[in-house]
Amino acid sequence: MSTTRLQEVQICFGFGKQTDIATANLVAAMWRLKKLNAQLANPKLNTENDAEEYGKGHEFATTTFKTSWDTGGTLEKYLSAEMASWAMCFGLGKVVKSGSAGNWIYTCTPLIPANGDATELPYFSFVEQIRPGAGSVIDRLMPGCAVEGWTISIGSGPGRANSKINVEFHGSGKLTEPSAITVPAATVEKLLPSASLTLTINGVDYVTSKNIVSLETSWKNNIRMDAGFYPGSNFQTPGDATTGAIRGRLEFGNRAGALKFVARFDHNSTELTLLKAQTTGTAVIHLQFDANNSLDITWQKVAFATAEVGETDQIVTVAVEATPIYDTTNGIITAVAKCNVDAICQ
Amino acid sequence: MDKVWMAPPFGAGEPKEVDATPAVLTPLMVAGWSQCEPPANTQEVTTHVDD
Repeated sequence: MSTTRLQEVQICFGFGKQTDIATANLVAAMWRLKKLNAQLANPKLNTENDAEEYGKGHEFATTTFKTSWDTGGTLEKYLSAEMASWAMCFGLGKVVKSGSAGNWIYTCTPLIPANGDATELPYFSFVEQIRPGAGSVIDRLMPGCAVEGWTISIGSGPGRANSKINVEFHGSGKLTEPSAITVPAATVEKLLPSASLTLTINGVDYVTSKNIVSLETSWKNNIRMDAGFYPGSNFQTPGDATTGAIRGRLEFGNRAGALKFVARFDHNSTELTLLKAQTTGTAVIHLQFDANNSLDITWQKVAFATAEVGETDQIVTVAVEATPIYDTTNGIITAVAKCNVDAICQ
Repeated sequence: MDKVWMAPPFGAGEPKEVDATPAVLTPLMVAGWSQCEPPANTQEVTTHVDD
């Protein structure tokens, strides 16, 4: 009997953005990356039935109906310059590309609809395959995906696991099987390791003082999934009402950023003072592989929401949660990602 | 210095070329400016004048 090992799964997805939610990426604008999590992007078919309808003579269902489709998944990865660039571009939504071959620079900020920006994030296609072809186990293409959010986690230690990113994404529900995609060669990624971190929060350089223990920062778009279905949003098979509805748009909802960290706490530590005074300042996070492959995240203004003294491995530490605040000039967050892959989110 | 062209929000006004630094780009992006192609009139023009 044949068995299939999950390590065979290959994923590729658009590094370029789709022209619209319904038009899948061409393979030339897709890349193949590895991931850490076993979770597959299983499409979910939602159904309903006629159990509650009168006129059948009983209370049981006699038929079912395809209602709608959900697609999406999670990518758990070691943090690389390539993945960081992709997550910032697709997760925040507004991108300016500069630089030149070998040193592309993607400056990213959240979309601001009040200033004329779109309410939909850039879309990409996601492909998942196990033994595509005649002996296919899984071979599917899901166009119209958008990033729901990302979380970057930095820990203490030399291993790659101390610098990770999780990206959650949702799809329109559109599904193409088989994908008809020949997955490209794997992209070689450049790790942004924990040991490369520089970090200044609210006027304190936590790396120079050797006090930082761990850090987590995240962004969530809270995509309005229900609003994706509207009269005319279409079906899995266009024009065929028996195939289940798909979403025609994925609009972000009330977005939220987060920053929390653990640092060693001593006589000179200022976290409790800054908390009591509700002092505000920037939070600047920098990670890099080399000069051409790096990530800078700037929370334009933060205030400490909580600062609790505790311990980490029997050393007194303080766990701080910061509240990102919107700055009237610079907004909430700017991410500058550098890598040698051209045309990300273009 | 690397430069990029930015177009104003709602299509109101002319694009302008700016330094591609976070300090310059961030306030523009927040204010609704978006990256655009250079205007056609920025391309090099060669004029031939008859003697």
